[in-house]
Amino acid sequence: MIQYNRDPQANIPPSAVKIIGLGGAGANMLEHIALDGLDGAELLALNTDLRTLNACLAREKVQLGVNLTKGLGAGGDPELGQQAMLESEEQVRTLIKGRRIVFLCAGLGGGTGSGAAPIVTRLAREEGAFVVVFATMPFAFEGRRRREQAETALNELAVLSNALVTFDNNRMGELVLAKQGVHEAFAAADYMICESIKAVIRLVIRPGLINVGLDDLMSALRTTRSRCLFGSGIATGADRAMKALKNALNSPLLDQGSLLKEAQTVLVHLSGGENLTLFEIELLMQRLQKFVPENAHVLFGAAIDPAMEDSLSITLISALPEDSLAMAPRKGLTNSGGEPSFLDPSVGFTPPPEEQKIPEPEPEPEPEPEPEPEPEPEPEPEPEPEPEPEPAVSSLPEVRQATTALTAEATYFPFNDEKPFAEPDSFMAAGPPPEPESPPANEYTAAEQDPLPIEETPSETPGKPTYIPLPPRRPSVPGRWGAPKPLPEASSFPDDLEDEQSAVPDPDPEPDPDPEPPKLRLGVKTTNLQDELSLESSPRGRFEGEIPNIFGGEDLDLPPFLRKKK
Amino acid sequence: MARRTKIHVGLEIGTSKTCVVVGEIMPDSSVKILGIGVTKTAGVRKGEIFDFPQARASLKDAITKAEDASDAEIGSVYLAVTGSHIQGTNHTGTFRLPDSEPTVAPEHVREACTTAREVQIPPDHVYLHSIVRQYRLDGQEHSTSPVGLFGKTVEADFHIIHGINTRIQNSIMLVRENPLEVEEVVFSPIATAQMALDREQRVRGALVIDIGGGTTDYALYLGGAITAAGCIPVGGDHITNDIHLVTGLQFSKAERLKILEGNASAAAVHSVGVAKLADERGFADVEVSRRILNEIIRQRLEETLRLVRAQLPAGAVEAIGAGIFLTGGTSLMRGFHDLAFDVFGRDIYQPVLPEMGGVQANFRDPQYATAIGLIRYAQILETEHAKPPGLFGKIGRLFRPLSR
Repeated sequence: MIQYNRDPQANIPPSAVKIIGLGGAGANMLEHIALDGLDGAELLALNTDLRTLNACLAREKVQLGVNLTKGLGAGGDPELGQQAMLESEEQVRTLIKGRRIVFLCAGLGGGTGSGAAPIVTRLAREEGAFVVVFATMPFAFEGRRRREQAETALNELAVLSNALVTFDNNRMGELVLAKQGVHEAFAAADYMICESIKAVIRLVIRPGLINVGLDDLMSALRTTRSRCLFGSGIATGADRAMKALKNALNSPLLDQGSLLKEAQTVLVHLSGGENLTLFEIELLMQRLQKFVPENAHVLFGAAIDPAMEDSLSITLISALPEDSLAMAPRKGLTNSGGEPSFLDPSVGFTPPPEEQKIPEPEPEPEPEPEPEPEPEPEPEPEPEPEPEPEPAVSSLPEVRQATTALTAEATYFPFNDEKPFAEPDSFMAAGPPPEPESPPANEYTAAEQDPLPIEETPSETPGKPTYIPLPPRRPSVPGRWGAPKPLPEASSFPDDLEDEQSAVPDPDPEPDPDPEPPKLRLGVKTTNLQDELSLESSPRGRFEGEIPNIFGGEDLDLPPFLRKKK
Repeated sequence: MARRTKIHVGLEIGTSKTCVVVGEIMPDSSVKILGIGVTKTAGVRKGEIFDFPQARASLKDAITKAEDASDAEIGSVYLAVTGSHIQGTNHTGTFRLPDSEPTVAPEHVREACTTAREVQIPPDHVYLHSIVRQYRLDGQEHSTSPVGLFGKTVEADFHIIHGINTRIQNSIMLVRENPLEVEEVVFSPIATAQMALDREQRVRGALVIDIGGGTTDYALYLGGAITAAGCIPVGGDHITNDIHLVTGLQFSKAERLKILEGNASAAAVHSVGVAKLADERGFADVEVSRRILNEIIRQRLEETLRLVRAQLPAGAVEAIGAGIFLTGGTSLMRGFHDLAFDVFGRDIYQPVLPEMGGVQANFRDPQYATAIGLIRYAQILETEHAKPPGLFGKIGRLFRPLSR
């Protein structure tokens, strides 16, 4: 698989994360992320429009197509955006180099976003990064043309990226009240996206008590052309588990949890302070069960983060195939684009979809919705009938070879060719090398089968376990034991606590050091104030020898008259 | 309405006394007290049993007395429990209707209720009560179940009272050993409130504080529904003990001094001179400065009330419209009224000792408030559970927010 295999033990440092904002919409999202101060992650803004770019907060900026667009935007023409991107390709490549996770934020439908996103994705993949694409789909009122452009780009991204998270602008209305300003609607959408990026980063970077990592994330988002269901909630105080879950389900992407009903895999990540209790988790998961189908695969993770203090946050991530979201136009597209399973970058990386019968992978970024089906027919039927066991075993090396071959290849064809349909051939040609044993036709099938075994055992993809075998549990408990200690000392019990020491004779050395005379209100006690037996010193009358009746830090069995006197 | 009368028995094992009340629910749903059996309790501390044989003996005695007085055989009781381990919390359950169903169906409400009941309680706790406070449909408040209405989101607000399982089990076991059946376990202040508050007072907002021998129980009602309930392990015994500790008087004398001479108000008039107790021969054998005595009492009670106040949710005291109802034996303390007003700044209703004797007078004696309240509670439960919603159903509906 990807580089992760090579140093599987290492945590992913935040510096290995790069967040790219592409185009105008991407810049907005990036800005939100920047304002939220995502620690450590590098932000990179790419845009053709120089003015927007200059206004952006990202530390690194690359103007695309300096010569081509001369600082103007791509004018809603993906072709132009693509050209511009290709012009600045090397520049971007150097900036992405060595990053392990790349988040690409783009608004599809426009020129820069739709045109350049697939290429950026591809570059990042070639550099060996795990690419998660957050894309917004245009509003319905923006017209069919833009929608089509967006969908074309989405198809490409679905193939190229490891995970694709789509936000539909049309649903943005649900984020805000009807009478709120449009800027708030956009801000809310950006915020949403920003939250999900942060959640994903948190998830991937921070090792948890019960760890979830990229592998789980990938299986949660497995459906390649899918809409991401994402919800994140945070709450504090009593009953925080319920509140957090409620907040999470309030996410418009979840539709109050009703969308989760169809989810196949749900990733749940909990993060809380040191006082996160097992019971809370239990309760929360129990509650969540009601929203998730019974046979769904729930990937559960939990992390203790002392910084969370009293709060608890929950993140739900899942994906639904877009077809199930009643997107009519989708259907045709997926069918046409679905079959081709050429060797393409994503084969190696993404465990391809199984929920949808139609694996998305298309040979390349270039839109070839129509022509694809023709070459396919033969390979298509084959994959199903022969789920031989070998692929699982061999897949890893194969895939490695495949990827290497591919990267090599990708450099040969760095996208400059205008004719998209030329490429399949080149890929076919390139196909054989990775798998010399089999003829090309079989090869495709093999490539397709790789995913198949994976589906059967969703979590144990051959390559996966290797790359994040972080210890599933971390003994982060010690903090817990440390915590109670300070309480008795620091907390409200004043020095009159001596008497309580009867119950807890040893715990705090504090009271002993400060047995100043003033605190003994009864003369009787003066005699033995210095040793820990002082507990006997204050008579308690009828409550003698009982467990101290401590309430709000005061021993209620002692007369307030005496307590307050001192 | 040829309806049989029904007899209920309320049992409260208090810190200072065990009280059994036998009440008959008349066909017009009024309650007639048939008999009361009271004994001094031994073996109970701060509302919790610590010496079983002693507690069992007092229970037996009280039951026998009550049976004698009422001329009825007691087979089952409603049991009031208290203790500082019992806590109440509010919780809301939400259910969002499926898109296909525009109106609220009973199962939707049930689902919301189930959710609301799923509170995080410590593992050793059990639920005592889960009481519906109100329903909300899309944020709009409904005091009754919104079944059949159009809406999207049903919410149920619950007040959930829970306590340590083993301690509650022990109380039940004590009663079962007698042998008596326990029909229902009720948290004391809830029972007291049935007795002390009428519906209007609940709606306007009222706080019941039951200061007994060993514990102070409180229940707050706002908008007709219970909002907070709890127990503070301080009671009249503490005052006696305080007097004993400060003045060095023996308990029996401290107790008498408290009852006969104590005054909790801060007014200086009551703190002039010396409080004296005469012994049997008429000699003064106890002399305590009233200033000290009243100060001891006042500080204790003030602290207790402040603790109660601190337990209430923020802003709750200001929301109390009807007032604060003091009950329990200690509430008979002179000047308590003034003190409570100083602490809460709301109208205070302090009970007065009934002048005349007789069984009916017990109704007004705050010491029996809880046990009598249990009868009331039993009555409400019964009307709740009664199937045909005739006249009784209507009455029951009045109390719906109270019963489980």
